[in-house]
Amino acid sequence: MAKKRLCALIDLSGTLHVDDAAIAGAQEALRRLRSKISCVKFVTNTTKESKRLLHSRLTKMGFDIAVDEIYTSLSAARNLLDQRKSNPLLLVDDFAMEEFHGFPTNEEKDTVVVGLAPEKFSYENLNEAFRLVHAGASLIAVHKARYYKRNDGLALGPGPFVAALEYATGSKAYVVGKPEKSFFLSCVEGMGFQPHDCVMIGDDVRDDVLGAQKAGMTGILVKTGKYLPGDETKFEFSPNFVAADFTDAVEMICNDFVSPKA
Amino acid sequence: MGDFPNALRSAWLPRNPKVRGFLLDITGVLYESGGEGGKVIPGSVEAIQRIRNSGVPVKFLSNETQTSRIGIVKKLRKHGFDLCVDDIITPCPAVVAALNERQLRPYLVVHPDALPEFDEISTNEPNCVVIADAAHHLSYENLNTAFRVLMNSEEKILFTLGKGKFYQEDGELTLDVGPFATGLEYACGVTAEVIGKPSESYFLEGAKRLGMRPEEVVMIGDDIESDVGGAMKLGMTGILVRTGKYRPTNENHQVKPDAVVDNLHAAIDQFLE
Repeated sequence: MAKKRLCALIDLSGTLHVDDAAIAGAQEALRRLRSKISCVKFVTNTTKESKRLLHSRLTKMGFDIAVDEIYTSLSAARNLLDQRKSNPLLLVDDFAMEEFHGFPTNEEKDTVVVGLAPEKFSYENLNEAFRLVHAGASLIAVHKARYYKRNDGLALGPGPFVAALEYATGSKAYVVGKPEKSFFLSCVEGMGFQPHDCVMIGDDVRDDVLGAQKAGMTGILVKTGKYLPGDETKFEFSPNFVAADFTDAVEMICNDFVSPKA
Repeated sequence: MGDFPNALRSAWLPRNPKVRGFLLDITGVLYESGGEGGKVIPGSVEAIQRIRNSGVPVKFLSNETQTSRIGIVKKLRKHGFDLCVDDIITPCPAVVAALNERQLRPYLVVHPDALPEFDEISTNEPNCVVIADAAHHLSYENLNTAFRVLMNSEEKILFTLGKGKFYQEDGELTLDVGPFATGLEYACGVTAEVIGKPSESYFLEGAKRLGMRPEEVVMIGDDIESDVGGAMKLGMTGILVRTGKYRPTNENHQVKPDAVVDNLHAAIDQFLE
């Protein structure tokens, strides 16, 4: 049977796995999905891990994934820098730096990229970034999350530092990660899929599901990971579909979005 | 009240017949900040002397929080300025009063040199945050601690001592407290209470200390928004000097000062005969 011409965009953390444990049945469901549709992509707002690191983590959990199928907010930032032929000052984590090889180091910087890099958010570095943007450099945010969870509790994300630079300079950052429309569109760019050929599966109603729907894609919210009861109705519009977990979401796609329970 | 209005002579007088006293910004108006106490702006020591000789009341309305008031006075006296602690209004005593009144215990993101201003305040088990221009102490770790204090407090109360965007130090533009306060606002979904310029109550405090109504006061500063814009909103006369953080683009700003002059000396020159 021919595969359906469809591209599935799949969130990683909270959808396929939580920390280092796969969500029950997710590996098998992914295999089933691959046999039914023509393309899968894995999309995430990582600002710390390169594709290579993510790939090795997922492979260890038993997922059948190729490096090239992973599209992160760092990939989106890199694409944008290449398109604009920019020479950036990078406030990104050392682990993420491998996504940004090949920029001249001695030429004048014309862009500031802000990722999640607590050890780079020093007063000196922020001043350097501020002076560049104040003098006309553009400001790119890998994403604008307010905070994230780490072992010792909540910690400031990149968003507050982007907001600080925006306030100081009066410039607006170009945000490349989820839930920006451009993130979802650039993920499938050049692959011949229209937004209506794409379905996004994720546990974050705003960043995954509604973001993709705004880009014209179909959205499926899974009730795993960071999902909290009531998320479906928290925003101005609702997910197209809600699934119990990734396996259930795959089932929906394979059944042309007709729920087996309906 | 008094004879000093007669000492005022200026091109602006016809528009502001009630001008009776001065509020002056300090940094970027009296001196340029930088290493070893910074550098005096030429003519400003003489300008203060002229104001003193004229008898026109003057107070210094500053957002300076990197040191205590006594620290500011020592620095300015070394430069030759004639002024004392009572002449200076800074945000630290104002926020201490607010903390006392509301019985709040702050986590302080302030410069170590300003800590003496907070001696009387308990900082155990903090339930609010005070953020100021702490320069290098505006580190990720300190900001993150502030963030956690706010997230763990029932009422998320954030005081920012001024909300300036940047200032000039040693010839370079340098981030002020405003951007960092804005970052915490964004992270916690709160609106900071501004203690300092450009908040209305702070300018009113300046006028009160002069014993005048806002429309009787001339504010002279190098910050088009924080000094000039804030003062003019209250009906004060707002003068922008072309020193400190001033940039030529300021003259296209939506805030239109009552006058733009080269420096403090030139400003006073036009007011006092």
